[in-house]
Amino acid sequence: MPPKKSLGAEYLKGLWDENPVFRQLLGMCPTLAVTNAVINGFAMGLATAFVLILSSLVVSSIKKLIPSQVRIATYIVIIASFVTIADRFLAAFFPPISKALGPYVPLIVVNCIILGRQEAFSSKNSIGRSLVDALGMSTGFILALLVLSSIRELLGAGTFLSYQVLGSWFKPWIIMILPAGAFITLGVLLGLAILIETKTKTRSS
Amino acid sequence: MSLSARMIVVLTVVGLVSGSLLAVVGLLTKDRIEMNRQQEIQTAISQVIPSTKTSQKIYEDDSLTVYESRNESKNAVGYAVYTSGTGFQDIITLMYGTDPSLSNIKDLTILEQKETPGLGAKITDQEAFLRYWKNRNCEQPLSLRKPAVDSPENLDPSEVNTITGATISSEKVLDIVNASLERLKAIKEQGKLSSEEKNAS
Repeated sequence: MPPKKSLGAEYLKGLWDENPVFRQLLGMCPTLAVTNAVINGFAMGLATAFVLILSSLVVSSIKKLIPSQVRIATYIVIIASFVTIADRFLAAFFPPISKALGPYVPLIVVNCIILGRQEAFSSKNSIGRSLVDALGMSTGFILALLVLSSIRELLGAGTFLSYQVLGSWFKPWIIMILPAGAFITLGVLLGLAILIETKTKTRSS
Repeated sequence: MSLSARMIVVLTVVGLVSGSLLAVVGLLTKDRIEMNRQQEIQTAISQVIPSTKTSQKIYEDDSLTVYESRNESKNAVGYAVYTSGTGFQDIITLMYGTDPSLSNIKDLTILEQKETPGLGAKITDQEAFLRYWKNRNCEQPLSLRKPAVDSPENLDPSEVNTITGATISSEKVLDIVNASLERLKAIKEQGKLSSEEKNAS
């Protein structure tokens, strides 16, 4: 087993070194699908964070009780429960967001970030450490969705959080809010992430 | 405890706990979700029949729901029809208001759609689409004006405008409205469209 990181490092790794979107390429489905507007991306990030943090807490606290043969089934039941809670909550209190996110909230169940963290981390680490890890991964995921959705909303509609920021001279690039725009933006951002990573590595070595 | 017994116990307990948790959450949010839905429909009704004071559901089947709307002096001012059908990409759900004789469409509003942003999604746009739907004569099925005109005055009373670049979405909305109107007229002819009958049943 690798040496234990400090809690700070455990949190920070989710922001860059192991960022779920840019480094691990996990959770691509919501990343591509709901980042057409900042508010949608942010709401999706928060819903995912809610599910991830609570699932990590529960899984890490009952990890010793779960026989390894049925661990995946148990994790999925736990995750699905929190997803349903998040889904009902959004439908009850934020109906417009719930409508905009559509089927992607229920689909958090199969978001690999969440199951991945349970399997790779919460099932092997203490409650506190799992909480910090889940917080870090959630922040990383929210940041990634915010970056992606800001770019797409700005170029695709000329707005930010529905406020007009680009003048009337700007002709919105419709493609940016269509699925193709999601792939293009994600591709460019992934390229940038790899570029930054290689640059900083060569400098430090 | 043997391994298989432990597996059964753990899965059962986890299932039971999360099941009961979800039952509670479902119970707590049910009323509010239903209220949101009602509110959305109420807003839509007053949008398509502006003189609405109260409204009542008088007919419902798989394809359409009809609300009878009454003004302040409790006179029936028209029907608000809630219906849906296939669009270019996905189901379009809409509501329109008619007068009590079903000969005039007062207004139309789109409640749900997933048409192409910037093109078909303009069906939700007042300027580009919805304003051409005000006060349409619907004694006969409505027809689509193609190529598009740039002002509602240039349309015949039984015509609606096309969105340039989104002919299919415009057509689909028209098809949904025409199909439901035809059904509605048949239902009315059978005498099933009255609040009295609903009260009796």
